[in-house]
Amino acid sequence: MKEKQEIASEAATDDRIEVVFFKSDTCAFCPRAEEVIRDALDDFGSESFKLVTINVSENPEAAEEYGIFALPTVMIGGISITGIPEPEMLMKMVLGAKVMTMKKGDSNEQS
Amino acid sequence: MSNHEIDRVKTGIPGLDELIEGGFPRGDTILVAGKAGTGKSILAMQFIYKGARDYNEPGVFVTLEEPPHLIKRNMSRFGMDLDGMIKAGKLSIVDLSPSKEMTPVTISESPSFDLSGLQAIIMNHVNKIKAKRVVLDTLSIMAYKFRSRDILREEFFKLAAAITRTGCTLLITSEILAQDQGLGVFDIEAFLASGVIVLYNEKISDTSRSRSIEVLKLRGSKHSSRIHSMRITDEGIRVWPGEISPGR
Repeated sequence: MKEKQEIASEAATDDRIEVVFFKSDTCAFCPRAEEVIRDALDDFGSESFKLVTINVSENPEAAEEYGIFALPTVMIGGISITGIPEPEMLMKMVLGAKVMTMKKGDSNEQS
Repeated sequence: MSNHEIDRVKTGIPGLDELIEGGFPRGDTILVAGKAGTGKSILAMQFIYKGARDYNEPGVFVTLEEPPHLIKRNMSRFGMDLDGMIKAGKLSIVDLSPSKEMTPVTISESPSFDLSGLQAIIMNHVNKIKAKRVVLDTLSIMAYKFRSRDILREEFFKLAAAITRTGCTLLITSEILAQDQGLGVFDIEAFLASGVIVLYNEKISDTSRSRSIEVLKLRGSKHSSRIHSMRITDEGIRVWPGEISPGR
């Protein structure tokens, strides 16, 4: 399991969009949600994404830090979906995250 | 063990134990309901703080509404040194308040989720400090955080069962809306708990209000069926068992 610091330092040097998936050992909907997310990311072009999976049963501290208590939850760039996600919603989140990344890149170039 | 020998948990509220045969039955789920400003959070924290300080029963306070720094400030008015208890490893405040910076904004919710995350978070703290008491303050906030109420209702039962299975006594607060006649926004609050306590702060004249407390039900206990006077003093909530409230 990746530590938070590791995730943060990787994010700083990695241009890929980070998709964080929260699941637990007992969550009945999580396997299906994970399948939907993986399929959707493959469709969008998996090389542009980094999927970080947090198993809350093993790492409850991470869920507490992010205030995630309903599972499954998928988080991309400060927004999240609870329950099995619709691929269209994931697409919207990804597009939003891409726009934010581009804006960040532009402002870095200007400065 | 016969009915007369039920193991009881002292509430830490002066006067309340006298109304309920000495305390809450250990391992039960107790609901504390009341309108805004009736003292639910004070009673809940007093249950946790006194349990840790006076009865050597560590406690976990899960806040879904008020951030911990405000809870600590407000409770210090009643002489509760929460930081001291936290340092001593006898109290945990679990911050799940909406004010957390890291919490993402939920843009979509499908009715295919459970609360196993919340359960894992709470159980982690329970195990760490070997807690005997747990408070969830307040259940009502979940109605605003999630739309799928049918799922929440089912999940609350599972969550309460998981916590009390460890031997912890669980106290849940629930806000009664201003014009509401029930015990909370989910309509199942009374079924969730084996004990229900209602707090009031009723207007008794143009210029004054009167605080009172009622034990609506407490399974396995002979409890007072009257509404008793209650005050919020410099030392927290105090109940007057011999005094019947003039307000209701």
